[in-house]
Amino acid sequence: MMTRRNFLMNAALASLLKAGDSADVTQFAPTAKRIIYLFQSGAPSQIDLFDYKPALAALRAKELPDSIRQGQRLTGMTATQTSFPVAPSLFRFAQHGQSGAWLSELMPRTAQVVDSLCFIKSMNTEQINHDPAVTFCQTGFQLAGRPSIGSWLAYGIGSESNELPAYVVMISQGSGNRADQPLYDRLWGSGFLPSKYQGVKFRAGGDPVLYLSNPPGVDSGMRRRYLDDLAQLNGINLHEYNDPEIAARVSQYEMAFKMQTSVPELTDLSKETAHTFDLYGPDAREPGTFAANCLLARRLAERGVRFIQLFHRGWDQHNNLPKQIRGQAQDTDQASAALIMDLNARGLLKDTLVVWGGEFGRTVYSQGKLTADDYGRDHHPRCFTIWMAGGGIKPGVTFGETDDFSYNIVRDPVDVHDLHATILRTLGIDHTKLTFKFQGRHFRLTDVKGRIVSEILA
Amino acid sequence: MLRRLHITLLVCALPIAAQTVEFNRDIRTILSDRCYTCHGPSVSNRVSKLRLDIPADEATRKEILRRISLGDKPGHMPATGPLLSQQQIELIRRWIEQGGSWQKHWSLIPPVRPSFPGGANPIDYFIRSRLTREGLAPSPEADGPTLIRRVTFGLTGLPPTPGEVDAFLNDRSPNAYENVVDRLLASPRYGEHMAIIWLDAARYADTNGYQTDGERYMWRWRDWVIDAFNSNKPYDQFAIEQIAGDLLPNATIDQRIATGFNRNHRGNGEGGIVPAEYAVEYVVDRVDTTSTVFLGLTIGCARCHDHKYDPITQREYYQLFAYFNNIPERGNAQKYGNSPPMIKAPTRAQQAEVQRLDQTIADSEKKVVATGQSKWESKIAPGTDWFRQRQLDAGNIGDFGFLDKFTLAARINASSPDGSIFSRMKDESEGPGYQVILKGGKVQVNLVLRWLDDAIRVETSDAIELNYPHHVAVTWDGSRFADGLKIYVDGISRPLKINVDEMNQDFAVNVPLRIGVGLKGTISEVHVYKTDLPADEIAVLATPENIGQIAAIGPVHRSAAQSAKIRLAYLDTIPEWRILGDLCEQRARFYDSIQTVMVMQELSTPRETFLLRRGAYDHPSDRVDRGVPAVLPPLPNGDANNRLALARWIVDPANPLTARVAVNRYWQMYFGTGIVKTVEDFGSQGEWPSNPELLDWLATEFVRTGWNVKALQKTIVMSAAYRQSSKATPELLQRDPENRLIALGPRFRLPAEAIRDQALAVSGLLVERLGGPSVKPYQPAGLWEELSGGKGYRQDHGEALYRRSLYTFWKRASPPPMMANFDSAGREACTVRETRTNTPLQALDLMNDVTFVEASRALAQRMMKQGGIDLGFRLATSRLPTERERSILLDLYRYNLDRYQTNPEAALKLVSQGESPRDASLNPNELAAWTLVASAILNLDETVTLQ
Repeated sequence: MMTRRNFLMNAALASLLKAGDSADVTQFAPTAKRIIYLFQSGAPSQIDLFDYKPALAALRAKELPDSIRQGQRLTGMTATQTSFPVAPSLFRFAQHGQSGAWLSELMPRTAQVVDSLCFIKSMNTEQINHDPAVTFCQTGFQLAGRPSIGSWLAYGIGSESNELPAYVVMISQGSGNRADQPLYDRLWGSGFLPSKYQGVKFRAGGDPVLYLSNPPGVDSGMRRRYLDDLAQLNGINLHEYNDPEIAARVSQYEMAFKMQTSVPELTDLSKETAHTFDLYGPDAREPGTFAANCLLARRLAERGVRFIQLFHRGWDQHNNLPKQIRGQAQDTDQASAALIMDLNARGLLKDTLVVWGGEFGRTVYSQGKLTADDYGRDHHPRCFTIWMAGGGIKPGVTFGETDDFSYNIVRDPVDVHDLHATILRTLGIDHTKLTFKFQGRHFRLTDVKGRIVSEILA
Repeated sequence: MLRRLHITLLVCALPIAAQTVEFNRDIRTILSDRCYTCHGPSVSNRVSKLRLDIPADEATRKEILRRISLGDKPGHMPATGPLLSQQQIELIRRWIEQGGSWQKHWSLIPPVRPSFPGGANPIDYFIRSRLTREGLAPSPEADGPTLIRRVTFGLTGLPPTPGEVDAFLNDRSPNAYENVVDRLLASPRYGEHMAIIWLDAARYADTNGYQTDGERYMWRWRDWVIDAFNSNKPYDQFAIEQIAGDLLPNATIDQRIATGFNRNHRGNGEGGIVPAEYAVEYVVDRVDTTSTVFLGLTIGCARCHDHKYDPITQREYYQLFAYFNNIPERGNAQKYGNSPPMIKAPTRAQQAEVQRLDQTIADSEKKVVATGQSKWESKIAPGTDWFRQRQLDAGNIGDFGFLDKFTLAARINASSPDGSIFSRMKDESEGPGYQVILKGGKVQVNLVLRWLDDAIRVETSDAIELNYPHHVAVTWDGSRFADGLKIYVDGISRPLKINVDEMNQDFAVNVPLRIGVGLKGTISEVHVYKTDLPADEIAVLATPENIGQIAAIGPVHRSAAQSAKIRLAYLDTIPEWRILGDLCEQRARFYDSIQTVMVMQELSTPRETFLLRRGAYDHPSDRVDRGVPAVLPPLPNGDANNRLALARWIVDPANPLTARVAVNRYWQMYFGTGIVKTVEDFGSQGEWPSNPELLDWLATEFVRTGWNVKALQKTIVMSAAYRQSSKATPELLQRDPENRLIALGPRFRLPAEAIRDQALAVSGLLVERLGGPSVKPYQPAGLWEELSGGKGYRQDHGEALYRRSLYTFWKRASPPPMMANFDSAGREACTVRETRTNTPLQALDLMNDVTFVEASRALAQRMMKQGGIDLGFRLATSRLPTERERSILLDLYRYNLDRYQTNPEAALKLVSQGESPRDASLNPNELAAWTLVASAILNLDETVTLQ
């Protein structure tokens, strides 16, 4: 029972482990204090963005060899497709920076920061559909019900901010595929952890946090007076009942009042310089865009929020990929790169881990018709590319490798549990020790798996 | 920097007063938690022959003690994870000293009714015995207002009215409290309140839960639950009907609706899933939910391997799986709406209406006198023809979707075997839309959104003859499944081959209806109907001869279709027959409007079940048959070994778990924590009961009274333990911070539903209507859209805004935010443990959510017109404010009134919140000031707390 716990009186949004929950004081030295996870929902095509496969040009429209496909399970959308024609990327690739990382022409701004990034080209997952795959990325399990990674962190190490939640989520709609995959509140939910660890969604329209604003006709001064009187009244009852939960409630109301100031101050971008807006691009002036959310992410990072997660929808390119992915790249390229530069300029990148990636990859073969300037790609769990930066991750490296078809991993596979273990490691957490006992079992984010990818740790 | 992580190992939730170490209470939890992973019941995980879940000899016991005492020296145990604490080692040492006896896990030993000397309520006897052992005393009875508020919330989830409080306080009879309890148990609000925790346990929701998270319709099952509690259905019946109501002899509609319990799980309609994978998940969900809810066992752990802590093998898991694996369902659920199997689930009122319509039809039938056909025929002029006037207006012809009934018919004379008869489809290969075509001479129907995984294709088994006139008709019943299509050739329904049956979304596209594209030959007599014509009417359509021609044929020489056609034409001249027709259509429309509910149903040919290696759907191993875990009592002999047998086995009094698990969950409802705190886990990893005798007395009493649910509630709330004051002393809080010993009455924050319902009730806004479709009250704009783009929340208006919270539409992808803020279960999967947190988001919600602002204004109106601060305070807390409280609130009023008098615009804004009209007779400045006072009252800790 969470009641009758006086330590909550001071902890506010922050969190402490409860008696009965198991965790170990054995920790690593952290290299990151916070995470910004730029989740690209719908699954970006690694073949058209990052995973350069020049040999494909010669194989255009030829059947994908069985030796490559290896009977891999396909989604119900292409399982009965009779032909699997190889579709090379329409986009040109070039090497960039000192590290010589390959990037497609869709990512010109990212190209400017490649020496700060670590590309993992050997990501893989077991899930072939969006809902289970995103759920897997968020919770380490494909079915709903387990805590999200941000909730685990909120539970395990809390927030550095006294005025903001430990886990903040922001959503943007991509311009590539507007009818794209939906998201679900449970993706940032706390699962079986207490609900105070759930992610708090910051929204572009209306209140940035639900119910943040006083009702029309009530100003801050009236609210202050109201809270003072409420605290007095609650104090009388506390005197009668001695239940520390009453005092905790009074302090939560104080925290709510602080949030009424701190959150609008946070989301007010009017004091950002013209230089900053130039950096993030014109979208950054429009609330709710990926660019505006990236800028907010930097502001949240500055204020000590532990886990900041952006979800950008629109990456599910089953057909009409060349046109759609241009829109998606346009949405995200400049702001993602700007965030890296901005964090770096402010000295925050060294202890902020930035992660960019989706839930799985896309097939080398075309879903539907392959024409001179059009193709689609189905879901592909066997390999995909993400990048990480800052927070103790080696900059300017590429880890893992896929075959000539970007179909199978040939070197250094990294699965979702490994990614989670590595993210936790940068925060100084041993992923096998961050557990919560539920239904008789000590659950953890990485389930029974997870290898720390020490090769990419600086 | 990292916050220092606190490490606390819970040896036992309670101080150990007794000197004797008891294996089950003191030792098993340690061994289970720290040793069973490697030395437990799981064969695959066991790393040595040593098992600690079964008795070990003395030498072994000594070795255990040696190894756990090694500190971090080589050979220490546990080999991984933290070492045991000194206290744990000491307990094990004492246990070995005292003989080191093992016990079967306590919850698997059937409860024995403990003896008590009589006199007091047995609950109090067992609680006081324990308190005495601990050197503690119970608290005095709570004061009257506190008591009636507590029990009214406890039994109905709503606060008492001031009138009810007064009646109780003025009732000097010794039965005053009991009278209140009886009144509450008889209130329909009781069933609603009891239903809520059952909906959490049964993962009830109004959407399918995956991806697009389309709406489903299970509210008829929800209303069944409310009825079951209100009619005091015995718990064993309650369980049997939900698990296997469909298999009861002569199952009623209600008993079949009850089985919706096991269809409340999520259903995946995402394009591209592997259906076999999800077909397994649905069954897994049923096994897990059923075992958690009724048996309090985490049997789900044995899906992938033998249970690591409890004596349940993986094989036994799949034996249970086999009971739930035999229903005619598919892995790819419907994206929108209910998925089969489902039944029409008329409410009682609807059943009555159907009966009434049937009676009216029967009466009307008698009035039809149709004896003049030959006389009528004699007057038919040659060339006369007849059709019922059901054609569509010209215009957007054939704009049909997958939920629309329709008929397409034409007479064709084809000279080529391929070509389109009807097409409303985009110009791409296998494009979206619908078409009726000839394909190799066969009549083929395609309904397509996305070819292959969201489409239906059926065709006639045989080809039609070319260069010969044929009448072709297709009917679709809007059922979303291939068997809803019929193809008639020359008026006769033809055998069909179903090639694809994967329709999941609407196939309608905005293109014109085209007739005869690419078909060589002729097409005539094109008919399009907005309904699926019955076979006899199709036969009429197919009859080429007109009425005049048929009349010329002698009645005995007419074909059946010819006779039917002229008969219909004749009947159509009789006014009574037309009335009858209208009535039949009315009945059909009414019947169509009746909501369905998903239910359990058995396959006629049983589906085989296989053990799945690592739980993976694509790794079947040995075939397994239905059966129950060996560690529990065997199934009774004789009956068919089906779900019904399983249900009866679950509620057999010999089952050691079922009654204990049920009473424990009720205890949690009243005291905030179960006697076994881990209400979901009575296994080895679960917590030892804080009062085993109390648990077993309640369990045996529950069975003894015939699983009488209301009687059990009454027994609990009548106890002195429940009626104690919850005013704590610092010493007691220090000693027993969670009140597990029950030296205090319960004090905990109200659940989300009760907080909202209370605000509606005290403000007078609450609409107390029982049951019906879920409602959509206020919700901040844009919540659904930002998750899924486009598909928005359409808020209801009027009474729907003020229904009790258990009727609020539950979208799994985006649950009602107020409920999520106040710790409601997520409704994704079975939840039985209550959690409560205390967060700033709750404060913001209670102060600023329009629901509570409007309720504050409505409460303020009552205060202004009826009884001022005292009334408002009493409505919310059941007691009068003290002088000091009154003066604080009055000062708050005066302060705000000053502010609003200088800013009447602001006042008007505040009192205009919400859709209920403000009382225009009241001064808006005063009303606004009182609104803030009312809001403060609704935000008091006392108001949102059961104390």
